[in-house]
Amino acid sequence: MSDESIPLSLPLPRLLFESSEVTALFREQRKALLRYVVCLGLSKDEAQDVVQDAFVSLQRHLASGGRRENLRGWLFRVAHNSARNRQTSYDRRFAEPLDGQMDFLTDEATPEERMLAKERSERLASAIGLLTEAERDCLLLRANGLRYREIGEVLGIATSTVGDIVERAIRKLAERCNV
Amino acid sequence: MCDIQSKLVAWMDGELLEREVVEVKRHLRGCGQCRKKVALYRQTSEDFALYCGASLNTTKRKASRWAPILAGTLAAVAALFAVAPWRRIDPPPAIPPKVITAAAPAAAKESAPPRPVRKSRAARVTQKRAVEWQAAEAAVQIAIPAEAMFPPGAMPEGLSVIAELRIAPDGSVDQVLLRP
Repeated sequence: MSDESIPLSLPLPRLLFESSEVTALFREQRKALLRYVVCLGLSKDEAQDVVQDAFVSLQRHLASGGRRENLRGWLFRVAHNSARNRQTSYDRRFAEPLDGQMDFLTDEATPEERMLAKERSERLASAIGLLTEAERDCLLLRANGLRYREIGEVLGIATSTVGDIVERAIRKLAERCNV
Repeated sequence: MCDIQSKLVAWMDGELLEREVVEVKRHLRGCGQCRKKVALYRQTSEDFALYCGASLNTTKRKASRWAPILAGTLAAVAALFAVAPWRRIDPPPAIPPKVITAAAPAAAKESAPPRPVRKSRAARVTQKRAVEWQAAEAAVQIAIPAEAMFPPGAMPEGLSVIAELRIAPDGSVDQVLLRP
């Protein structure tokens, strides 16, 4: 074996931004943004691209004197629009249950508990598949910590409408998952 | 059905006006049906957040070729602490960016949100695992025996490598460097 080091880079490249504000946002919001765009149906590689592009756009936005209010909502909106442009498998993502991937259980769970959890996971996946696109988007953004006002800005709808949609979506899921 | 039921999710999310919050709380004290709904909606919200987290984890399987190495490395590190405390363990280098502390006051001054930012549900449900890593949020460099990392026969007998794991502040491993 040679004396040279063997660099094994894992796929989470660290970006360097000129603005410390953007760097701080990158640390705080990168994972939530990744989770969101992956749930929209993008592959992880695509999601990485979309999220990085969003932060580069934010850098440009701030450098050109753009508004600094609600930068988190701004990031999610840019990532959302970019993901929608690339997206090809949104419905497929939510139509296929994530077999065994949901972490409902501890390692000590009995086989019966595992079976019940699997059924619950499948019911949830099926119920999510029956939501409208707006309902799924609202729940995804909510699950990633956005306020109703921010969700409204990302999706271009009124805050009060977001409240109605979220309430309806949660009620639908709860009813369909607990029959 | 109670009229208040349509406000329960917004109440859970902290999205109601103070006047409405008082109204909902008063109602919940006397309505068992609505208390059950709140519990159900909370559970559903947590399940949905887990589902989102699982979506991301599913895609991570593409990078699973490193999982055995990382698992072996971590196991070896634990073993080294237990049986070979004389091995060299460099102190973690300082985390470079001052940027977090530098940025926080500026951001707060500019945009001061009317309500506290809600933490991601998906992040909350995985917080337990993240806590273990928060304590070691700097890069670590440790020497380990190759036999502890690779299956028998994968490496020449007796050969050791040095594995450098760079741990990001958010707890993820963002670089592994193996040296002979």
